[in-house]
Amino acid sequence: MQPTKPLQSTHIKEEVTLAVSDLWISYQARRGTVKAVRGVSFDLRLGETLAFIGESGCGKTTLGLGLIRLLPKTARIERGSIIYSRNNMRTSVLEMDNEALRSFRWKECAMIFQGAQNAFNPVLRIRDQVFDTARAHGEPNQQRVRERMLDLFQLVSLESDRVMNAYPHELSGGMRQRVLLALGLLLDPQLIILDEPTTALDILTQRSVIDVLRNLRNQLDFSLILISHDLSLAAELADRVGTMYAGTLVEMADVYDTYYHPYHPYTIGLIRAVPTLSGERRDLISIPGTPPDLIDPPRGCAFNPRCPYATERCRTEQPQLETVGLNHQVACWNWQAVVADHGSRLILAAQE
Amino acid sequence: MAVMMELVNLERSFKVGRAVVRAVDDVTLRINEGEVVCLVGESGCGKTTTGKMAVGLLRPTAGEVRFRGQDIWKMNAADFRKYRQAVQIIHQDPYSSLNPTQSVVDIISAPLLRHGFARSRLEARKLAAEFLQRVDMTPPEDYLDKYPHQLSGGQRQRVSVARALTVNPSFIMADEAVSMLDVSIRVGLLKMLSRFREDLGMTYLFITHDLAVAKFFAWDGRIAVMYLGRVVEVGPTPRLIRFPQHPYTKALLSAIPEADPVATREKERVQLRSMDVPSLLNIPTGCSFHPRCPLFESGLCDRQVPQLVDIGNGVEIACHVVAREAGVA
Repeated sequence: MQPTKPLQSTHIKEEVTLAVSDLWISYQARRGTVKAVRGVSFDLRLGETLAFIGESGCGKTTLGLGLIRLLPKTARIERGSIIYSRNNMRTSVLEMDNEALRSFRWKECAMIFQGAQNAFNPVLRIRDQVFDTARAHGEPNQQRVRERMLDLFQLVSLESDRVMNAYPHELSGGMRQRVLLALGLLLDPQLIILDEPTTALDILTQRSVIDVLRNLRNQLDFSLILISHDLSLAAELADRVGTMYAGTLVEMADVYDTYYHPYHPYTIGLIRAVPTLSGERRDLISIPGTPPDLIDPPRGCAFNPRCPYATERCRTEQPQLETVGLNHQVACWNWQAVVADHGSRLILAAQE
Repeated sequence: MAVMMELVNLERSFKVGRAVVRAVDDVTLRINEGEVVCLVGESGCGKTTTGKMAVGLLRPTAGEVRFRGQDIWKMNAADFRKYRQAVQIIHQDPYSSLNPTQSVVDIISAPLLRHGFARSRLEARKLAAEFLQRVDMTPPEDYLDKYPHQLSGGQRQRVSVARALTVNPSFIMADEAVSMLDVSIRVGLLKMLSRFREDLGMTYLFITHDLAVAKFFAWDGRIAVMYLGRVVEVGPTPRLIRFPQHPYTKALLSAIPEADPVATREKERVQLRSMDVPSLLNIPTGCSFHPRCPLFESGLCDRQVPQLVDIGNGVEIACHVVAREAGVA
């Protein structure tokens, strides 16, 4: 059976929430300049969930932090633009002053960091941490905040009253993660960035967080950026998936195309290296070699030293993302050869 | 097939303040020569504690660990030393399990010299190079004089494996050995460990929270699922993955997201009665899964602790209801 591709989700609107173009971010290290994000461009539409996948050090977290300009002091946004729009009001994130940036964060864009469920203040009740947040962002009316929060807790399947009065240690990891999601939505942001939201959670807890996220997305209008090394999380939640390698976006496609018809040799490699539970045990193939040093990335395509399709051109010229199908972009000089060779076999693997 | 290791009614409790936590309770498991057994479960289920007892790092508070028929805690010093040599460990974190001040050759030579496999540093260096080759770190000269911080996560884990192999072990306990590695590197390591089963007749107790990894690594072996200190289901891997019997195993398998958008979104989920994981300080009476179990029967599950029973096809489960339906209660 050919995997059925559901119709494009109806919750995605035409409106573009975030337009990023040619973004470069680097860190100053003792050994030299680490080029962590190298020329990333993408559009995110209202209501859409975009997942960035890739292995450690590929620049996905740096990209997320860059979007809300929360990078550490050693980092610098070298160039590029980030345009955020809401109700046809366009603002450039890179040109905001401190005051504008402060209100942009959380009110327009909330980010939930990796492991943040362990970052609550242990001596304050949840309700006090909620009120603090609201006050800091200009909402002094506790009653209004309380009502909004109770609604949100319900949306994330938490017992509102109990959680409001609890101290963080009285809640499990999964509950704290859901409190964070609710807290992130408190000021009604239009963009939410989640960095590894389920890493370090147990399987059943992870499931409850995933279900809550899906539910939230169906009920509220916001765009979601999901940053994860976990390919199964992206498979669960994403509408589109961007594969990152060595600071560049090597492929961007509809979630079904990413898993069933990937065009970039690196995406193919990633997917064939992940074991699955359903179906027969299929052979897994590892990607030879190791990720490059970002202080001195390889010339041309950064993946060329590990790529079985590399040609002379790959070693000298860096490929840019080009549109190769509906909602499908890939940065590879030889994508046609790759598809001719692998495309059909991968689909077979998915059918088993 | 000969039994290599037997865990018999193992129990381990820890004192936490004035309370006692029973991390492992009545675990019985047999591992045959050359077999691979995966211990899976969520954090706090006792899988690591069980593994530590199997390799003699932790003394059980009750029960026995038998290695080739002998209770390891009743062995004489010479036998115990032999057991310790036969049984080796690969730890989870390759960043903290290697001494950062020692070079690769020092790390691998230490056990060789200590156990008399090499009589001089020169000989140890030669042997160390051979072990590096065995873990696919070629050419070994490129790695011998490097320090752990100069290696990637995958390479460090290979050094850990090489170190474990030096003393000619027949049994390896690997505790989340690939969990910290990136996917592209993970497969290579798993395949290498599998190869040692053929080449060296290695037996594995492989501990992981990732059932997909367990499925890949132990396809021709067995999986034991633990919950709150007890084994709730054991069975041959393909059967356990395809036809899970215990309600907890079913819930786990149905909850795991997969790297396949259609499969993972259309998977049927087992609904639990409660999402709260009970505290080990306050383990529910009877079957410890009963407050969450969809098959819960009042008066039975909350009163009696279910024992592991054989329900055929090599599958054992600890569940009153499923055992009764299988006609073996």
